[in-house]
Amino acid sequence: MAKAFKYGSRGITGSLHSAERKLLRDLFADIIHMLEERAELHRLPEGLDPLYALTGMRPADLELPPIGDPALARLLPDASDDPQVAREHRRLTESDLIGEKIDRLREAQFLLETDKIVLDPAGARRFAQALNDVRLVLSERLEIRSEADSERISQINDAKDVTTPEEYLGLVYNLVSWVQDTLMHALMNAEY
Amino acid sequence: MVGMTAMPDVLSSPEIRETTEKAWRLIVWNDPVNLMSYVSYVFRSYFGFSPEKAETLMLQVHHDGFCTVRSGAREAIESDVQAMHGFGLQATMTQEA
Repeated sequence: MAKAFKYGSRGITGSLHSAERKLLRDLFADIIHMLEERAELHRLPEGLDPLYALTGMRPADLELPPIGDPALARLLPDASDDPQVAREHRRLTESDLIGEKIDRLREAQFLLETDKIVLDPAGARRFAQALNDVRLVLSERLEIRSEADSERISQINDAKDVTTPEEYLGLVYNLVSWVQDTLMHALMNAEY
Repeated sequence: MVGMTAMPDVLSSPEIRETTEKAWRLIVWNDPVNLMSYVSYVFRSYFGFSPEKAETLMLQVHHDGFCTVRSGAREAIESDVQAMHGFGLQATMTQEA
């Protein structure tokens, strides 16, 4: 079983067993893949003013396709109810947001190469962000839309009771939630 | 050798831009996924709010379904929204009516 994160003289420490680490690494990899597919759509066509490539800006008339996968939409949500504001915000910032998320997920993958995890506050914050992205994606697959759904899923806590793939996913979701929650408390103790 | 006698008056008569544009609001929405401990931490660490203020705003999001975290110029609120999305919080921006 995973050990709760805590703050002590060596920093923020916690540990995960090899099966848990493998599971989490696979989840990080899946999400990196989803984000990379979206990043592909940000590639600018050849023959465009090189200034765009240089600044990372996207011409206003070059629309990004809408996001079809609701799990990806949780990671890259609309910035406004006003479609025009949302579109503009996406055009200017989505590429950076994808990049920073991929960086944190890769860092988290690397962290889980060993069973003992030692973090400083900044590293713990980035790890928490990566875990949160995993939970957002799982929540969409589990169709957690309300507090009642969340409550129902939280009941799944024993591997012995798990009989369906959905229940297994629920168990994984609860594990990641628990790890993230202990990490937040350790981080709060470390920083404040 | 040349000596500088006066600072070149590049910005001769700065145009003072009237900020008649209405302020923008950063709204954080409740969702059944993000942990209360995490949302509190984000409010403390990103906005620099006191523990009490972070907790109050987090509970407001939780109970009311949303909360206006702050308001300001469009550019500032735009970068707040981007940061919130980086943390995985459901945040939007809207211009004050």
